[in-house]
Amino acid sequence: MDRAEIEKRVKKVVSNILGVDEEKITSESRFVEDLGAESVQSLELVAAFEAEFDIEMEEDAALQVKTVGKAVDFIEKYLKQ
Amino acid sequence: MSILDSFITKARTLKKSVVFPEIWDNRILEASASISKQSIARPILPGNPEEIQKNISASGISPCDVDIIDTKNPQIIEELSKIYQKQRPNIPEKVAMHLVKKPLVFAGLLVASGRADAMVAGAASTTAEVIQAASLTVGYQQGIKSPSSFFIMEMPDSRIFFYADCAVNISPDSNTLADIAVSTARSYRKMMDSEPLVAFLSFSSKGSASHPDVDKVIKAVEIARSKDPDTAYDGEFQVDTAISESVAQKKLKEPSRVAGRANVLIFPDLDAGNIAYKITQYLAGAKAYGPILQGFAKPVSDLSRGAKPSDIVGVATITCLLS
Repeated sequence: MDRAEIEKRVKKVVSNILGVDEEKITSESRFVEDLGAESVQSLELVAAFEAEFDIEMEEDAALQVKTVGKAVDFIEKYLKQ
Repeated sequence: MSILDSFITKARTLKKSVVFPEIWDNRILEASASISKQSIARPILPGNPEEIQKNISASGISPCDVDIIDTKNPQIIEELSKIYQKQRPNIPEKVAMHLVKKPLVFAGLLVASGRADAMVAGAASTTAEVIQAASLTVGYQQGIKSPSSFFIMEMPDSRIFFYADCAVNISPDSNTLADIAVSTARSYRKMMDSEPLVAFLSFSSKGSASHPDVDKVIKAVEIARSKDPDTAYDGEFQVDTAISESVAQKKLKEPSRVAGRANVLIFPDLDAGNIAYKITQYLAGAKAYGPILQGFAKPVSDLSRGAKPSDIVGVATITCLLS
């Protein structure tokens, strides 16, 4: 899966979980400050990425990811493993 | 008899069950065996039944001492996923199924479903992780929007005070401060079987000083009273006005049910609360039990990651009393 495809699917997941219009989500968008994520939703985002890409992520490290672009980087690493 | 002994006696009569999700930690297995043997509660251990049986046998624990729930059982996963989606309707089924596989979420859902009365975790997880899982699964008590924590302080002369919040909310605004007070009053009532007298603490006693920090506390008193009119909330008080009747008589012009007799002390922020509980513990020789989480619809407690098995037994006992 190429990076553009990962990014497209990450934005779709973020849109579904946070209820934000997909067009307003950019690589630079910060989950909390820009997209209005509550702190409790970070665990739901991690689970949603795991379900979308069929991966199991290291939870502590995944919860440190703060932007959409960094989430794409993080997931890309798992998919390459 | 210490306050903890009296809590153990009371917990035995309640016959509650407590789920411990961190079953890979030997301290949890040891504490579970002790809780079961002392008849404090029925421990529930979620995980792979064969692995748990093997681990508890190696620790000298009888399988009869605990209940084991298979976290891979498809029926239970489906049941818990549905409960999760009921709590969080925007979460798709596939995502809920992933969440249920996370130990803290699984355990929280056992509590939400009524399969367990309470959850104790934190031996191998952060406080933030425990709060996050509890918020997503168990949810909050009616009228409460913020989780918080309290300490039970047992003084050398056997007096008991509840201190809050000494561990969770760093800089609470008036609404959060009111939530802390209402939750602590509820916890006090459940545990002590007597009326909480709740003092909101400050560096000012009823207008003796003017400052935005004082205004914050005054507003919190009003909010707490409107949320819970049947409980005695008062302030703002300096701590001597709150706990010494002679000082209260000198400093206050108006009568107060709480002043001089407070048994629940609400600190204006985490600096004050955390410093106060440690200074009471170390300078006054008080015993400190906690922090105990509160504000959730059903009891969920956090452990220090350095907790010993005996500490875990204590926290589980207190948690039973809150259910």
